[in-house]
Amino acid sequence: MSCCCALSTQEKILQDKAAGKENPNRAKHQRLFDILETFDGMAPIVDADRALLFTQTMKETEGQPLELRWAKALMNIAQNIPVHIDYRQLLAGRCGTTGRYGILYPELDGDFMADALDSLAEAKTAAPISVSPEIAAIVRNEITPYWKGKTFHEDLNRSLPPEVHHLAYNDELGIKTRFVVSENASYRSSQQWVLDYAKVIDRGFASIKAEAQAKLDALDPLSPMDTLKKRPFLEAVIITCDAIVIWAHRHAELARSMAAEEKDPVRKKELLQIAKHCERVPEFPARTFREAVQAQWFAQMFSRLEQRTGTIISNGRMDQYFYRLYKQDIEAGVITDDDVLELLDCMWVGMAQFTDISLSPGGMATQEGYAHWEAVTIGGQTRDGKDATNELSYLILKSRQASPMPYPDLATRIHSRSPQRFLWEIAETIKVGQGYPKLFNDEEIIPLHLAKGAPLGDIFDYTASGCAEIRMPNRDTMTSSCGQVNLGAALEMVLRNGRMKKYGDELIGLETGDPRSFSTWEEFWQAYLKQQEHLLAASYVEQCVIHHTRARHFAGPLASCLHDLCMASCMDLHTDEKIPGGIDLGFVDIIGFATLVDSLSAVKKCVYEDQAISMDELLRALDDDFEGHEALRLRLTRAPRFGNNDMYADSIGLAVDRAAQQYCHKYAPETGLHIDIRTVSVTANVPHGKEVGALPCGRKAWMPFSDGSSPAQGADLNGPTQSIISNYNTKNWDYNERAARLLNIKFSPKCLEGDSGTEKLVSFIRVFCDLKLWHLQFNVINRETLLAAQEDPKRYRNLIIRIAGYSAYFTELSRDLQNDLISRTEQTTI
Amino acid sequence: MLADAMEKGVVFNVQKYSVHDGPGIRTIVFLKGCPLRCRWCSNPESQKPAPDIAWNDTLCIGCQSCVRACPEHALSLDSQGIHKNHDLCIGCASCVRACPADAMFLYGGESRVKDVIDDVEKDSLFYARSGGGLTLSGGEPLFQSKFALALLREAKEHHIHRAMESCAFCPEDTFLAAAELLNYLLVDVKCFDSEKHRYFTGQSNTLILSNIRAVRRAFPQLKLHLRTPVIPGVNDTEQDIAAIASFAKEVGANAYELLPYHKMGETKYRFLGKDYPMGDAALDETRFKSLQELAAKVLPSTP
Repeated sequence: MSCCCALSTQEKILQDKAAGKENPNRAKHQRLFDILETFDGMAPIVDADRALLFTQTMKETEGQPLELRWAKALMNIAQNIPVHIDYRQLLAGRCGTTGRYGILYPELDGDFMADALDSLAEAKTAAPISVSPEIAAIVRNEITPYWKGKTFHEDLNRSLPPEVHHLAYNDELGIKTRFVVSENASYRSSQQWVLDYAKVIDRGFASIKAEAQAKLDALDPLSPMDTLKKRPFLEAVIITCDAIVIWAHRHAELARSMAAEEKDPVRKKELLQIAKHCERVPEFPARTFREAVQAQWFAQMFSRLEQRTGTIISNGRMDQYFYRLYKQDIEAGVITDDDVLELLDCMWVGMAQFTDISLSPGGMATQEGYAHWEAVTIGGQTRDGKDATNELSYLILKSRQASPMPYPDLATRIHSRSPQRFLWEIAETIKVGQGYPKLFNDEEIIPLHLAKGAPLGDIFDYTASGCAEIRMPNRDTMTSSCGQVNLGAALEMVLRNGRMKKYGDELIGLETGDPRSFSTWEEFWQAYLKQQEHLLAASYVEQCVIHHTRARHFAGPLASCLHDLCMASCMDLHTDEKIPGGIDLGFVDIIGFATLVDSLSAVKKCVYEDQAISMDELLRALDDDFEGHEALRLRLTRAPRFGNNDMYADSIGLAVDRAAQQYCHKYAPETGLHIDIRTVSVTANVPHGKEVGALPCGRKAWMPFSDGSSPAQGADLNGPTQSIISNYNTKNWDYNERAARLLNIKFSPKCLEGDSGTEKLVSFIRVFCDLKLWHLQFNVINRETLLAAQEDPKRYRNLIIRIAGYSAYFTELSRDLQNDLISRTEQTTI
Repeated sequence: MLADAMEKGVVFNVQKYSVHDGPGIRTIVFLKGCPLRCRWCSNPESQKPAPDIAWNDTLCIGCQSCVRACPEHALSLDSQGIHKNHDLCIGCASCVRACPADAMFLYGGESRVKDVIDDVEKDSLFYARSGGGLTLSGGEPLFQSKFALALLREAKEHHIHRAMESCAFCPEDTFLAAAELLNYLLVDVKCFDSEKHRYFTGQSNTLILSNIRAVRRAFPQLKLHLRTPVIPGVNDTEQDIAAIASFAKEVGANAYELLPYHKMGETKYRFLGKDYPMGDAALDETRFKSLQELAAKVLPSTP
């Protein structure tokens, strides 16, 4: 009941900045701001060094076992890639040139990389990439010729059955995605992944190498399998362990020579300390917190050189694996919390410079705004089921509250005994308005994975990975990236008897009959289920082909040597064989959930129950994209909609979710994989929407679908409590074949104002935990700010907003996605 | 009680995730009808006890379905949009039913206590976690006293925390009967001067002040939260606020809070075809802040 609008912390800082005031966080985070200024607002530069060195080795090692070739390529990179230590940085190690940059993976897209880079260089997008003519020439002349005919995506393109290929691509070459049954595997060599960083910190690569050497020495020389399979794996591990140590030592040398020339005594001392760290880790166990941070940093950077994982390797449970040395150093008085904050800043600002570059149209469209999921996980429970929150969890939150960048993505694990202080600090961080942290719910994730076969200790120790996924770093064994099914397309094919508005008379799906001939809702619903199952079946076929084709193309000796089960079995993580003891967790994403549910609800209510609109009238209106049918469109939008705790719509949503899970329940066992239903769109709701004409929920042709498992744009009119309960209502609970469900809620800063606003947000989070939903994230921003940022992108260049499992700069998103974000309901209060 | 559950009344809004009117996460149920006519009223649709037909010009698609549907020919389309002849309108709402765009709509509808409580109870998990519950508001909730008391009794049966926002202008026994069912009571005191109060609201404040005293005597443990909407040109002086604050202190209120005047009700006047009585009046922010400081010296703004 008050008049003035309230601003989030982020909005206040932007407003002050426009008025010439200094960011109040600068004083305490001077180093972060200084380094940030060296690349802020810069378009990422494409660096081809990794791609060039990798290609060189691959050329020279043809015919050898793949894991060995990969290890040798890593060794070539480690020995020859230029190394840098950045201005004012306390950490050494980057994958490419200075500034904001990205690197190339020709094993994925080498056949069309040169053309893609040319068009990227010319493209006028909100998220531009800078490609110099020299780099373009190297790519065209020295890299791509080798890869023609050898990339994974070409192999996949040849291997998919024609009817599945038809649903996945718009062209024979399999470059242009058809977002009906789309795949994500051809632009990354692993799905979202996390390394066991504790192993790097506590054991070091010398110890892993020794383990591999001992195993190698113990192989049975008479065993053909030991010779053919285990030996190359172990040799690859040994080479890789040496490679990362060599790379670290090159940084030590560089730091020493920079120190020799450095005039400033303070910086000189810092450089010498960097040199000492790089001489010690990651070869040997870290002895101090500072060494631990450097060891972790080398591991994640070298992992990025090894392969492109699902939009950047995640960081795992940072407050757990760093805690022992943090506590030791704090108690010994050799480090202060301010030192820790400064080191964390150095990591964040290092991450902020690395950009995951997508060259394929599919990759670009589904991960807009330089998507990045280097998720840092905090909170949750220990391996023995106790609350895991510690002082480091709070420091990480504090550091993210003060940061002016969307890096890194931050995930918090919540459970029924999470301390109030932890939830309070999470709420305060959410109120800053930069979209993090995202919340993961132990009360759903732990029991669900027990049912899927996870050991209790491993699932207690799970970590966020990527946007909404989780990993057990020593138990998960499936790295195949997973696909997406367009639910809006499934419905459109019911309305058009297997065809889609965009493709005219071309038959795309099943012919389920002329909908005008359906006399009951039940007939319509059965036709829908057939289309949905048809697309799910195609996605399963696609996924199985992907899973078995990948093993011929990818190896990951670094990721494998940090995995207990790979080391035990001497098998590379990218194998398509079953790794003993492993759990293969994958998914199929359903895109446009709420758009579909609202459309089905409108058909059921208006056409079959009220008989206010005939099927023929509906089809004509859809065909005309509602032009001249505005009254009819409005009537459709007045049918019950998902997101309002209205069981009319929600029971349809539940039936959709249940039917999808039921398909998986029946057919996943024969694939040997868990391919479960996930409801996470990332930005795929935009390109999937662009495939589909007008739909009965009143959505016009080609417009974005609803995102994740969130209500459709503007459909949830009864506040956040009803929106989240609807999410619960539509979730099917009696099968194990469910995976993540991503839920976005937008709050206006006004209803979270002050301590009382924080307190209520904490209660809201507790209820989210009680409802056993998987995931929740918030945007706390005024609609007016987003509109202003569209008008004046320069001034709002640093405005950060949540998209789908990650935060990005608003002005680096396409106009379509910006409009989509604006149109999602802002939850306010009187 | 079954009789309570079946009791009917007119509700014009149910607001979920309300965080400013009582403890925790609450659901506000707004009852129609008010004995006062405050000039600054931000809920003009709450004043009459019966449902109001309103027209939202921004949603209208100009299809004239309402014009054709009106049995009394009270509606016409002119250059300003839909014009209504108020003398002819009998309130049958045929126009509302005919409108495809929700542009012609009703403020308020009849509901049973059972349906309201079922709706309120949907958020019981949120109340349990936050200490929130139901807040009755209006209009003046006790203007429909039978309905309001039935709602409070039924909420109590369901173990829902109960708050009420009232102007306290009602018979004393009604006010006390409601207070007995409440966990938390919010009362607006708009002016301490009785004549000024009558001038701006249409009624003297004598009954209001005596009801507040009576409720405190009868229920010394009840959380009593007094509030004043600070209105430019009405009560935005130190004398005004100091007088109400000392009354709040003397009567034993647990909190005294100032609410800044806002214009958020202006569009609703337009939808109802009424002129906005406050014109361009605006509250001086600095003045409001200093008044808040003054009030805070007497009592905290939340209990």
